Amino acid sequence: MRYDCVIIGGGLSGLTCGIRLAEKGARCAVISTGMSALHFSSGSIDLFGNEGEGKIVFRPFEYLEKFIGSNPLHPYARCGSSRVREALFYFRDQLDLEDIDLYNNDDANHFHVTTLGTLKPTFFSQRSVFNEKIRLAFEKKSKIAALNFEGYRDFYPELAVINLKRNVLFRNIEISSGKILYPDYGDPQRNPFEYRSIDIARIFDTERYLEDLAAQIRTAAGDAAFAAMPAFLGITNFKRHHQLLQQLTGLLIYEIPTLPPSILGMRIDNALKSRFAALGGVYIAGDTVRGGTIAGGRLESVFTENGGSSALYAGSFVLASGSFFSGGLVSEFSRVREPVFGLRVYSHAERSKWHAQEFFPRNGHPFLEFGVETDERFNPLTDDGQRLGNLYCTGALLPHYNPIREGSGGGVAVSTGYRAAELILAGNR
Amino acid sequence: MKRIETEAIVIGGGATGAGTLRDLSLRGVRAVLIEKSDIASGTTGRNHGLLHSGTRYAVNDLESARECIRENKILKKIARHCIEDTGGLFVTLPEDDPSYHGKLIEHCKYAGIRCEEVSVQEALRIEPNLNPNILAALRVPDGTIDPFRLTSANVLDAQERGATVLTHTGVSGIIREGDRAIGVRCRDRRTGVELEVFGGIIVNASGVWGQEICASAGIALRMFPSKGSMVIIDYRINNVVVNRCRVPSDGDIIVPGDTVSLIGTTSKKVEYDKIDEITVDEDEIATLLESGEKLIPNVSRTRVLRAYCGVRPLIAVSGEMDGREISRGIVLIDHERRDSVGGLITIAGGKLMTYRLMAEMAADLACAKLKVRKKCRTQKTALPGSERKLDQAKSVKFFTGIPNSVVGSTLYRHGQRIRNILHREKRNYGLICECEMVTEGEIEYALKKLNVKDIVDLRRRTRIGMGPCQGQLCAYRAAGLFVKYDSATSAESNKMLVDFLEERWKGIKPVLWGDALREVEFCYWIYQGLFGLGDVRFPEEGEDR
Ligand SMILES: Cc1cc2nc3c(=O)[nH]c(=O)nc-3n(C[C@H](O)[C@H](O)[C@H](O)COP(=O)(O)OP(=O)(O)OC[C@H]3O[C@@H](n4cnc5c(N)ncnc54)[C@H](O)[C@@H]3O)c2cc1C
Ligand SMILES: Cc1cc2nc3c(=O)[nH]c(=O)nc-3n(C[C@H](O)[C@H](O)[C@H](O)COP(=O)(O)OP(=O)(O)OC[C@H]3O[C@@H](n4cnc5c(N)ncnc54)[C@H](O)[C@@H]3O)c2cc1C
Repeated sequence: MRYDCVIIGGGLSGLTCGIRLAEKGARCAVISTGMSALHFSSGSIDLFGNEGEGKIVFRPFEYLEKFIGSNPLHPYARCGSSRVREALFYFRDQLDLEDIDLYNNDDANHFHVTTLGTLKPTFFSQRSVFNEKIRLAFEKKSKIAALNFEGYRDFYPELAVINLKRNVLFRNIEISSGKILYPDYGDPQRNPFEYRSIDIARIFDTERYLEDLAAQIRTAAGDAAFAAMPAFLGITNFKRHHQLLQQLTGLLIYEIPTLPPSILGMRIDNALKSRFAALGGVYIAGDTVRGGTIAGGRLESVFTENGGSSALYAGSFVLASGSFFSGGLVSEFSRVREPVFGLRVYSHAERSKWHAQEFFPRNGHPFLEFGVETDERFNPLTDDGQRLGNLYCTGALLPHYNPIREGSGGGVAVSTGYRAAELILAGNR
Repeated sequence: MKRIETEAIVIGGGATGAGTLRDLSLRGVRAVLIEKSDIASGTTGRNHGLLHSGTRYAVNDLESARECIRENKILKKIARHCIEDTGGLFVTLPEDDPSYHGKLIEHCKYAGIRCEEVSVQEALRIEPNLNPNILAALRVPDGTIDPFRLTSANVLDAQERGATVLTHTGVSGIIREGDRAIGVRCRDRRTGVELEVFGGIIVNASGVWGQEICASAGIALRMFPSKGSMVIIDYRINNVVVNRCRVPSDGDIIVPGDTVSLIGTTSKKVEYDKIDEITVDEDEIATLLESGEKLIPNVSRTRVLRAYCGVRPLIAVSGEMDGREISRGIVLIDHERRDSVGGLITIAGGKLMTYRLMAEMAADLACAKLKVRKKCRTQKTALPGSERKLDQAKSVKFFTGIPNSVVGSTLYRHGQRIRNILHREKRNYGLICECEMVTEGEIEYALKKLNVKDIVDLRRRTRIGMGPCQGQLCAYRAAGLFVKYDSATSAESNKMLVDFLEERWKGIKPVLWGDALREVEFCYWIYQGLFGLGDVRFPEEGEDR
């Protein structure tokens, strides 16, 4: 098969790249082994949330202007801050076409409430997680009811409420908690006390139980103005059902992320895949790229695990295979490598320097900053020093940024994916 | 200040202390056990859990070998649910001195250990993953013993017979009155509350820390700490204990246990003042994996789950010696005779699997001092859970409707006590830890009956978080259940989640490559990236909770 571009890895970064390319008429294929990091993420897209030493970034674009100058290897520096902005708003518009409404506080960060009731600065959240009405209700110090299904093992509001109450922002806000009876709606063969978010979300993707649920929420919420629920109220029909529930209950209902799997992340994953397909992109799931043919500083084709001898040819390639977690990087007893093409990797020679001494260290773990070394065009080098001019590396595979410490994971994935697409399109022109 | 009066005080909740508490309780002596951390958190929880047949010591230390085989037979009856009667092999590799094999057979005869020569072919049938190039093999009655279950069962029995157990309570000093020790001063490490416990006899069963306890009573006792490290591999690569047939050395033993196998051990001298800071060194991991691979070649292809180390509580008899040459013999000291301090005895040395014998010796002496004329009954009285032979088929039938795997693992961990844990209610048998099949009912039972104060304790009682994912999802769930069952406040639960993850991290850090690194990345994403747990501020004592 021949494509204009083959993208290896169908996560946030690979799909953003694919959508941009396909929109501009390129014939694209995405090949992806399995579930991407989106399935586990909060579903909010972080841009830049923390300066370090506990300092929060409120205006991420302004902050980036300065930051980029002193961190030239950072993926954002290689994109340029205006392109980061362009990429993020492009991403928002694409999701909008797929019925996912992202909230952003203009150019500023907003806070979303985590499973443990801490507040995290982020740039985009789904409107069911944060929106203007929630902000208003919050400013009026309206009472909140934190609701949960009795016996749902992946969310314990009590653990969150104590941390919220300690936060100055919540000081004078009353938070009650309430239980909703366990949905005896599912498969009688299964133990409902072992349901995960996804099982419950599937139940609420059908309309059948909504009235019953609404009645229960009404009672459990008492006189609260809004109800916080674990994020498991549907995936595909969520938007409509969420509106319906708010109508039926007369409450603002907002969502708090749960333990993985993340329904909020899956909604984005679905939307991106759907958008990519609508633009004519080909998504090959459940296959793994094992290697490729390199000639004259170019990657000519790649072969996959299931593809046998039939190679995939393309003018350009994108490697968006993620970090260790997704298999984009592999670590061994004393080295880190990129498993598909053996690309040159940034890491430390000594294993004892891969990690910090504490599990929750002040400055994060160094291994999160490892990745495939590239030039400013995101082109990597092979192990023997050959630059591959038509292969672009993006997303969590990249080094020199710390997604957790900075609060920058989603933003880097989106902006580098978008940037790679722009470079490919420019090269083809 | 809070004051408790009792007949006997036991310091240390390792196997020895727990066994002593139970022995005394069986003789009708009122006793209080004081443990600074959790039961089985000292050396007892940091070894291979090998139920020695005695073969390993037969050549160098005949007396220890004899003790081992005697206790081996007793424990197989009284502690069934803590033991797997796997059998063991001693195999000779091409590079090993071939004459040791014959010597071992001969010495096993002196010690009374049934030691049977088997052909290489037969050895490979017994243990298919074994290195096929071995030259000779012996079959011996080695087994495995779970130190956490063993200690917990001893404590449980003692408590059911009226004993008091104070965990997370450290003894800070011995209270003396003239030439007698009459009590101990202690402090609850969680609440900061100080208390004093008085009794007619104090049994110092604090293992390698016994030196400090003695020092606080003005008595000189010198410990000779020797560190041993072990690695756990994420797969049960062997079903019988595999030993290398040579003079005991590093990386000689691979022990199967539950769903994993462990390779042990090394031996390194450590300074006494460093015993609380020991960590596994990089070179120890390399040594263990290399030696392990020689016995079972699969080792190199299997993920390493974690590494940990313990300190052998050997008492220096005299002079400088290499850590491994000292007799692992049992040391019972009557401080009245040795140091003219009445009311205090020390029991130390020995092995995990000789804990019962050590407890018997300590309790005999304690009873003599208290003038209690009751005989030891622990050779015959089964531990709670081990009353009858475990019959999986029968339990599965009894609990029809509950998945067999859940019944199997609960039975495996708690023996007959399964009947106090499982019932046919969906919530009761809903899984909280999927790797190790720990149910909500098992957690509820542990919280209410097994002196569990935090998630780390809970892990020792149930194996929660010990599987391949090392507690990624179940740690949060467990924290939630502490609140649900009123075992902790929400604030305490948050804190114990941090403590649990930090504790896990100690064991993972030395083996951070491959899948372990992958899992850690994920776990850190969840607890820091998603939850922001590292940013949660915990109020100091006294601040509002
Ligand atoms: C648990 C978790 C929570 C997170 N939470 C947040 C958050 O709240 N906010 C935020 O902004 N960011 C968050 N992130 C970070 C953010 O989600 C990631 O940085 C981003 O999604 C990475 O996207 P990616 O496309 O680069 O890689 P991934 O999403 O990792 O996707 C890589 C894909 O490539 C596939 N693949 C790998 N190798 C091959 C191969 N050889 N052939 C074919 N396919 C292959 C994998 O199967 C995978 O599907 C989180 C990440 C994790 C893990
Ligand atoms: C590497 C290694 C491998 C081993 N392998 C085996 C094996 O396979 N089989 C076997 O049978 N044996 C084995 N052993 C030996 C065995 O682990 C020990 O002999 C046994 O566990 C000692 O138990 P104990 O109860 O005497 O001591 P410990 O378990 O150390 O108990 C002492 C307790 O006292 C507590 N304590 C200390 N100070 C205070 C204080 N001030 N106040 C209150 N409490 C205090 C400690 O917290 C601790 O819990 C091994 C030992 C090591 C080091």
